[in-house]
Amino acid sequence: MKLITAILKPFKLDDVKNALQAHGVTGMTVSEASGYGRQGGHTEVYRGAEYTVDLIPKVRLEVLVDDSETEAVIGVIVKAASTGSIGDGKVWSTPVDQVVRVRTGERGVDAI
Amino acid sequence: MGTRERRARANESDRVLNALFLAAHEQLHKGARVEIAGIALAAVGGYGRGELCPGSDLDILIIHNDHLSAEELSTFVNSVLYPIWDGKTPSTDIPRSVDHSVRTLSQTREAANTDLKVAMGLLDIRLVAGDASLVASVQHNAIDDWRRDSRRRLSELKVLLADRHERSGELAYLLEPDLKEARGGLRDIVALRAIAMSGAIDVPLERMSAAESSLTSIREALHIQSGRTKDRLLFQEQDKVAAVLGYADADALMSEVAKSARAVDYLMQSTWHRLDHRGKDGLGRFLRRPRVTNVGRGISVAHQEVVLDIGAVTVEDPVLGLRAAAKAAQLGLRLSMESCVLLAQSLRQDIGVLPNPWPREAREDLVALIGAGSAMVPVWEALDQEEIISAWLPEWRSVRSLPQRNFLHRHTVDRHMVETAVHAAALTRRVHRPDLLLIAALFHDIGKGTDDDHSERGAHLIEPLAKRIGFGEADVATLVLLVQHHLLLSATATRRDLHDPATIASVMAVIPDLQTLELLHALSIADGEATGSAAWSNWKATLVADLVERVRSAMSGSIVAPEPELTPEQRGFAEVGALRVEVFVRDSDYAIEIIAPDRPGLLSIVAGVLNLARLDVRSARTKSHGISAVMKWIVSLDPNAPIPTAEKIHADIHTALNGQGDLERRIQERVKSYSQLPSIPVPPPVVETFDQASSECTVFEVRSHDQPGLLFLIGDAITRCRVDIRSAIVTTLGAEAIDTLYATEISGGPLSVERTNEVARRLREALS
Repeated sequence: MKLITAILKPFKLDDVKNALQAHGVTGMTVSEASGYGRQGGHTEVYRGAEYTVDLIPKVRLEVLVDDSETEAVIGVIVKAASTGSIGDGKVWSTPVDQVVRVRTGERGVDAI
Repeated sequence: MGTRERRARANESDRVLNALFLAAHEQLHKGARVEIAGIALAAVGGYGRGELCPGSDLDILIIHNDHLSAEELSTFVNSVLYPIWDGKTPSTDIPRSVDHSVRTLSQTREAANTDLKVAMGLLDIRLVAGDASLVASVQHNAIDDWRRDSRRRLSELKVLLADRHERSGELAYLLEPDLKEARGGLRDIVALRAIAMSGAIDVPLERMSAAESSLTSIREALHIQSGRTKDRLLFQEQDKVAAVLGYADADALMSEVAKSARAVDYLMQSTWHRLDHRGKDGLGRFLRRPRVTNVGRGISVAHQEVVLDIGAVTVEDPVLGLRAAAKAAQLGLRLSMESCVLLAQSLRQDIGVLPNPWPREAREDLVALIGAGSAMVPVWEALDQEEIISAWLPEWRSVRSLPQRNFLHRHTVDRHMVETAVHAAALTRRVHRPDLLLIAALFHDIGKGTDDDHSERGAHLIEPLAKRIGFGEADVATLVLLVQHHLLLSATATRRDLHDPATIASVMAVIPDLQTLELLHALSIADGEATGSAAWSNWKATLVADLVERVRSAMSGSIVAPEPELTPEQRGFAEVGALRVEVFVRDSDYAIEIIAPDRPGLLSIVAGVLNLARLDVRSARTKSHGISAVMKWIVSLDPNAPIPTAEKIHADIHTALNGQGDLERRIQERVKSYSQLPSIPVPPPVVETFDQASSECTVFEVRSHDQPGLLFLIGDAITRCRVDIRSAIVTTLGAEAIDTLYATEISGGPLSVERTNEVARRLREALS
């Protein structure tokens, strides 16, 4: 099993959610996040004064998937989240040892 | 369900306990017929009042006079209690949970003395079985001690309540409240009754009887429906409890809970206030009469409350209530319960009903009331309890205590809007129309309560409401836009690409100008902050601010008030260079036109003269023309001030222009006398400068809470920098002032950057 984590532009969340649902992914966790990558924050000019926006608001999305589904789900996220411009975000996957559904006690793939 | 059933449950318990008591007595005396003496069983607390819900405890006290041995006493008590604990009683309809104590008379008195809860429980003591004289003694001592020691006991009670409220939250606003423990709940009702019994103060308990009956029935229904003894009204139980009690749905049930809790809490808060302030007004202790300070037409401060003067409620003065409310909120005081009752009674008899549209004074008072920040909340609550708000603003009725059953919100709709106004009051320096911000904040969710889109419905409701309050056409349009689009910035910032020009264009298609943009931004922040952390975070604030900056830079135009225009007649007289004063009556205000020979410092001199004449400046437009300055002032009269005449003002200005009359010292004295009144925290003043707004002048904009002598201070600070004021536009909106000054060097021309910064710094110093 894998945990797929994606960092997205906030306005892309709805598109990604819809695409994942269409792909058959039924559950996900979404949280507010802030950070920067290669885009390194940006500089704004307001009434002659320059100020730097250090941390840019992003959305963090997490999905648990079976190993065999990993590539396909990453593909769905990347496709839906892409605008082609800087700051589109990142997607990565990490191995997961065990998953338990709290209500039923089911384990492994059954708990996804 | 109802009082009858709860009484029946108590009676049934009485019968069972009585039988058990008699049996235990017989067993003690081995079947011999001995008269019962020296021992009794009494009901205390809720059981003492005869109010038993299915999940209530049986609070009982066994009193004895120490004539039994320890072993005999223990056997006696066990034979009364064990059958109940074991469920072996003839009736199954009595509680199995018993809260009991076994004490002698002196032990009871001692326990009451050290434990507040015991003392309060004993106030409701009632004989169930045994020696009546013992119970009568306990009752006598309990009430006697409670009254004698009321000062200490009530201050203990206050601490106890504050702790409990802190732990359990407010019954009116929680999604899953504890009917007993939360603020405004059943325990508070018991506490109020105990305060009344202390005799320390008169508590109008009848004001909470409806609330008590509702809350007790809801608790009883909850116990029956859930089959549990818990008092927390969980989501899953709300529909069932609503159905059992005949409410339309869970929303109607929760609305009733909120309404009841608010009634209880209002009574509690005003009772504490009266307890805390009785006899503390200086001479009041000796003369048995409170010190009364007149603070406005028909209103005074007494016992740290704002009260209406005797005979002030009349048909001719419909603004009285709003004036009193605004004054109370701005002074950070409460509005007295008696005054609210009086006002409500007169409104029901159609006395003092506001005309349509409201006069300017009424509108400004409403703005000053809302703009007082958190000091507004108790005043608003007091008015709402007496249904005065709904009488003034009928639209309010449909959102009163309306629950919002989702996890984003923490308040009912009406309280959420009040909280939004509180947050908006802290943002008034960020906008050029604080009045529109405050009104939009107070009514932004007025469209809630149906299945329709609440923003659209709100826009329809706010239009006639804003017209009735007395706003002009352009302001009404802005208010409609603010209410209709109050979610626009948050929704766009989180769901649309801010780098996409189409996103910015879509916002600009809705928002016509910079002024509306800054209003909508402030409203979004206030709404979000009032909703709570689930709806508003730094994350979201950053996104919204980013969107606003992008829209702002794409917009053109200025938000600085333009210089006033003069009529040919004014220009003609200005060229003469003489002093002329004219006074006109305008509604409840006076318009004063002054044409005077121009000189540095003229603005502060005239402002000072008007201030000393006890005229409160609402707005002013001044402009230099040739050798004169033309000034148009709109002023309102302080209470007890003489009617202004052109001759008197002419003479005063003439004296002051000649350097006589010691203006500055007298103004300082007047400011000092005002500072003895209480005040509320307000956002600090803001001084902004604009060097691009005019080619000939530098523009200073001062946004501040209104205060006595404000304009004199501003004019004086500018004059001391040796700067000339060419035009001034002075506006007071409720309790907020916005003054725009077009300044030049004495020799003419705009100020350099260094000079501009120096003047701005001096202005900030003068206002701090």
